[in-house]
Amino acid sequence: MLEIKNLHVKITEEDKPILKGIDLTIAKGEVHAIMGPNGSGKSTLAHVLAGRDDYEVTEGDILWNGESILEMAPDERAAAGVFLAFQYPMEIPGVAGLTFLRTALNALRRKRGQEELTTPEFMKLVKEKSAALNIDIEMLKRPVNVGFSGGEKKRSEILQMALLEPTLCVLDETDSGLDIDALRIVSDGVNALRSPDRTMLIITHYQRLLNHIVPDKVHVLAHGKIQRSGGKELALELEQSGYAEFGEKAA
Amino acid sequence: MSVAVIKTKAELSFAESFDHVQDRLPGSPAVKQARRSAADKFAELGLPHRRIEEWKYTDLRSAVKDALPVRVGDVTQMTIADVIVALGPLAKFETHRMVFVNGRYRKELSSADQLAGLEFEDLSSVLSSGNENAAGLASLTARDDDAVLSLNTAYMTDGAVVRIQAGAELVKPLLIAHVRAGGEPGFTAVRNVIDVGAKASAQIIEAFVSLPGAAKEGQANAVTQITVGDEAKVVHVKCAADTGDGITHLSNWMIRLGRETDYAGFQLTQGVSLARNQIFVAFDGENTKLDLSGVFLGRGRDHIDTTLVVDHAVPSCESRELFKGVLDDRSRGVFQGKIIVQQIAQKTDGKQMSQGLLLSPDAEFDSKPELEIFADDVACGHGATCTELDKDLMFYCESRGIPPDIARGLLIESFIGEAVEKIDDETIVEAVMEFARGWLSKT
Repeated sequence: MLEIKNLHVKITEEDKPILKGIDLTIAKGEVHAIMGPNGSGKSTLAHVLAGRDDYEVTEGDILWNGESILEMAPDERAAAGVFLAFQYPMEIPGVAGLTFLRTALNALRRKRGQEELTTPEFMKLVKEKSAALNIDIEMLKRPVNVGFSGGEKKRSEILQMALLEPTLCVLDETDSGLDIDALRIVSDGVNALRSPDRTMLIITHYQRLLNHIVPDKVHVLAHGKIQRSGGKELALELEQSGYAEFGEKAA
Repeated sequence: MSVAVIKTKAELSFAESFDHVQDRLPGSPAVKQARRSAADKFAELGLPHRRIEEWKYTDLRSAVKDALPVRVGDVTQMTIADVIVALGPLAKFETHRMVFVNGRYRKELSSADQLAGLEFEDLSSVLSSGNENAAGLASLTARDDDAVLSLNTAYMTDGAVVRIQAGAELVKPLLIAHVRAGGEPGFTAVRNVIDVGAKASAQIIEAFVSLPGAAKEGQANAVTQITVGDEAKVVHVKCAADTGDGITHLSNWMIRLGRETDYAGFQLTQGVSLARNQIFVAFDGENTKLDLSGVFLGRGRDHIDTTLVVDHAVPSCESRELFKGVLDDRSRGVFQGKIIVQQIAQKTDGKQMSQGLLLSPDAEFDSKPELEIFADDVACGHGATCTELDKDLMFYCESRGIPPDIARGLLIESFIGEAVEKIDDETIVEAVMEFARGWLSKT
């Protein structure tokens, strides 16, 4: 269960507040969507959940399964089950995709007190998961994300998610830059990971992703606060009316 | 008019030692004469200092506080098992191995066999035989304004004199291993002379390593002269991977390339407190490809200087330079890349890139490109960067559960990997990366 309580966030070493009191609770197994206009703080929320130190929490708390994660470093949050699928996944020249995946997976397994996977075990797992996402294993021999198209990078993020088996998945505008086919493959991949033990927060600009990944609740984030919450129909309403009404509301 | 310069303790010691040891240094009368001239030259020049432009970042006169005792003979006990330990990653694959301990050839520790295409002899024997000119040592006193070279000529005890026959293709690399051992610190001068025949193909690895238990301090002055015949292909790698604390490594590569040759040189420098790697390249023939790359790793107060002079004296040759340094604590990396394109060297294609990765706010990287271009139909470019570890990449790795120290290691390996992978042999690439990983793991 994810509980965000009165969260205030600003950019480290600057005065401008970005999140101005976010209250959000996502029960275990639920999928919530956050939509909102540009500059509302959606990506900031995603990055703060993952522990990026460019942002500073000035007030409030984030509780994951009852425990505050604010003092936890990014790799500790990952070990606790948090995964952020980046909006702009990074390229790491010189580090082969398979090396990266194996290093991450075994680091998590060690932290969780599990045995590391042997190379054959790992390769078997990767082949299985990458096939489901239409990712050619040859691509994973190249450096991480280097030379990948936007759609390939997003699929690669979902592959990481499938391998690392997080319990809190935060998807930051996963649908941006995807064509119809890529959108379907990514959505299928995410849906395959839905489970009563897995909580998901989907940040999106456009409603169409939510046709494929149907959320339990939808929230509108504008001017640093959650302005409205509702069921999946809220997304369709927003598609009709846009975000104009939230632009007029005072922060 | 020359102003009398007060010599430092180290300069006086190096100059005065010569009289005491000269009779024990190998060589015919002609060699002895060359040594004498070189010693006199050194006494006159002293160690280079920062008011000499090429040495502005590396003031040897102030950096070298003491002259360690000059080594002439050596009887340090060593076994093949010791050699394997000292060589580390370089012992993991088959090579023609010539082993020198504290500057002296050890046939019993070497594995190189004379075979069709590969002739070799230890320098000490060649110098004593009076055959030094035949072996290409005629240029003993070349570049006589270089004090470090003069010091080498005066004191060289041994090295590998190698001739790879025309057309020969070495299946295994030639490994020239200089091992530092024993509890007594010393100054070692070695010189390799390598002649690669026309259309031959060879991989040559030089290693400067030490045996566990070796003195913390040491000074090495190494020269390698290499001539590459027309249409030959050479991969030439130097791994200076010591593990002391107070190691000085002064190295000179002097390279002459014939027509249509393919020469790729790579240098790894780590575990040394003070290093100056000089590489001089002269093109004797057209349509030749030169690739020089290297990685230097510094921590503490290490100072690692790589200085290149590449002289395009003929048309249509290509040169590429890629040097990367990783610098931690208060260490300092220096790259000086001089490229001369003479007036007749039309259609020269030259590119140079030097990159520093600073792991601490007190580390420093100095890069000085120097392009002197006298021809008008050439393509020459250079670049230099200096960065820290990319915070976004670190966050990306950590958000996937990779702990910061492992993430750092991955990103540093990725940084240096680009230069290491210029070595056109996966086995040697892996050995170099293993040396580097060993250095990284000691953070």
